[in-house]
Amino acid sequence: MKKVLFLAVKDLKVLLSSKGNIFWVFGFPVLFALFFGAIYSGVGKGPSGMRIAVVDEDMSEFSDSYTSKLKSDEALEIVQQSRDEAIEQVRKGQIAAAVVLKKGFGDGFEALFNSDEPKLEIAADPSRKMESGYLQGLLAKAQFEALGEKFADRNWMRQQITLWKDDVKDANDLDAKQAKLFLDFFGAFDTLLKDVNEQDFNAGFDGEMLNFAKLDVNREYEGPITPFQITFPQVLLWGFIGCTATFAISIVKERTNGTFERLRVGPIERAHILGGKGLSCFFTCILIMCILSIGAKAIFKMPMGNWLLFTTAVLCTILCFVGLMMFICTLGRTEQSVGAAGWAIFMITGMLGGAMMPLAYMPAWTRPFSHISPVKWGILALEGAVWRNFTPLEMINPCLILLAIGTTAFLLGVAMLRRQDK
Amino acid sequence: MIKANNLKKRFGSTVALDDVSFEVRKGETFGLLGPNGAGKTTTIRLLCGLTKPDSGMVALNGKTDPTLVEVRSSLGVVPQTLAIYEELSAEENLRFFGRIYGLSGRQLKERVRNCLDIAGLAQRSKERVSKYSGGMKRRLNMVCSFLHEPPLLLLDEPTVGVDPQSRNSIFETIEAMKKQGRTIIYTTHYMEEAERLCDRVAILDHGRILDMDSVHNLVVKHGGPSRVEAELEQSPSDPEEIKRLIDNKNIQLEGTKIRFETSQPMESLATLNRSGVSFKSLKVQTANLEDVFLNLTGRRLRD
Repeated sequence: MKKVLFLAVKDLKVLLSSKGNIFWVFGFPVLFALFFGAIYSGVGKGPSGMRIAVVDEDMSEFSDSYTSKLKSDEALEIVQQSRDEAIEQVRKGQIAAAVVLKKGFGDGFEALFNSDEPKLEIAADPSRKMESGYLQGLLAKAQFEALGEKFADRNWMRQQITLWKDDVKDANDLDAKQAKLFLDFFGAFDTLLKDVNEQDFNAGFDGEMLNFAKLDVNREYEGPITPFQITFPQVLLWGFIGCTATFAISIVKERTNGTFERLRVGPIERAHILGGKGLSCFFTCILIMCILSIGAKAIFKMPMGNWLLFTTAVLCTILCFVGLMMFICTLGRTEQSVGAAGWAIFMITGMLGGAMMPLAYMPAWTRPFSHISPVKWGILALEGAVWRNFTPLEMINPCLILLAIGTTAFLLGVAMLRRQDK
Repeated sequence: MIKANNLKKRFGSTVALDDVSFEVRKGETFGLLGPNGAGKTTTIRLLCGLTKPDSGMVALNGKTDPTLVEVRSSLGVVPQTLAIYEELSAEENLRFFGRIYGLSGRQLKERVRNCLDIAGLAQRSKERVSKYSGGMKRRLNMVCSFLHEPPLLLLDEPTVGVDPQSRNSIFETIEAMKKQGRTIIYTTHYMEEAERLCDRVAILDHGRILDMDSVHNLVVKHGGPSRVEAELEQSPSDPEEIKRLIDNKNIQLEGTKIRFETSQPMESLATLNRSGVSFKSLKVQTANLEDVFLNLTGRRLRD
């Protein structure tokens, strides 16, 4: 065991002797935390919404009100332009979409819900489909809000009723009995609008068309979740990834340099050498975790959740990545090939596992693949401990999967190393 | 002390070693001389258990498994590649390898200091190895294997890419190890190194030992005649008399210059001198291991 410790200490010394290694193992995760934490917390508070152009060809009171609603939405940054300018900017990728309010957009219900000739057109960037869907939701929301204001205008409503009654009278294909039902209903509605007092009318049509309350999904909510708390598991994962990749490369470096063989002709077993590597990778990951946790607690005042579960999640994640290190170091015979293979694997598993962007934003077909990504299970275990308030029972699943992936990768790596050395 | 019996090793279709056998006695320095690809490094790898032979057997101190911890503790291997950590200092490298070999405390400290002195690195022991010259790295690479004072040393071309000064320092270190009675196997493709350091040499080519003996005996057996060039004080009055005296019909005479090949140059020259021939200048070129290799393989060592 002593020799394994000597090997681990030597590896740590070698690791810390390189500024590049220190950056990728310690600096990069901290920068990642600061960058994404700042994004989630909305540092700067400047325009951060989706940039779209509104082309108002209607120039009506309603289209003006609609544009104001869009402008007041924090998720959007609105510029008003001509149709040609707006479409040109979409084509060049400078804005996400152009929304054209055609002539007649504000002509009441008939214009708004006429499916034969839509009065609202959207030109969206084909490469930003997800944002386009999001935009349609925001447009509908603004439309409902603008309509809500119209509903609160009893004169406008009575004009609409007159128009609907005329339509019913002109509808030749409607039988007399049905027509009478509609006319009676519109008549009663018109009488209501004419006679209801102001207070009751306002209580009925207060303009809030979409109102909802947020349900708390935390089991034991202990104060607000900070943006850094949400990014913290991803940050830790990036730290572990950087560390794993660096150590995988260091094993190949030992093999190409000949130090691995010098050690192998010494009075130690191969298992000692690999154990030393694994131990130093493990220690470094622990060091990363300590630095980031202390920083998160001291600087960002981040609540750490359940410490016992957090420690379990961290240990399982680190053991998984130590196993992966052993496998990745066998994927090439040079530092360059292992470095490239290692980062390629981590980029893919990181993306599939939600270390780059939340899984919800990923295309649906990629989600089943996320189950094979150790990054996903690492993030889930860490989130479970830090802010999802997992019970120990809920923690077992991700932790066991992490240990299984780690053990398989470690054994595979050792077997492949043995084969390569023959 | 070291025994290799009928070692065979193939890498795919390439035969690296073909029935190699030799024995190295205690305190002997045994050379493996051959060109690149002859099988020298493979032999070293088989001896220290890094590679398993397809057939044949290796015995070190009577133990047939070189991977045993007790065997490896008695073994010092200087690999051809620079097997040191460039990110650490010389002292840190030595301390680390010393600890791996079970050294600690004052013993480790003394051995590290001693090795730094041998390598001539005491003044720069705290500097990172990456800042050292090639020769300094080679010297450190070598002394890392001496730390635990092993009785058996396997040196695989330790002077590759080294400046003359460092090479000389390496030779002196090996000669000091010889004096201490260590058993050494030294691989090289430089015949001067083998001639200077080795008690016996095996000529290795294409994985086969062509012959194995002391340098002198190899030269006598395979080196061919020595070449003698002399300038006489006076032209000989009877050239045939000279041919008769040294019993050599292929002698060349041009005025006062005389050239001939013989396996006994000193005896021939003494005979001529006794018969009244006096020399103005003399040049005797004796055969060496290069000639031995050329005569055995038809190629030069560095072809």
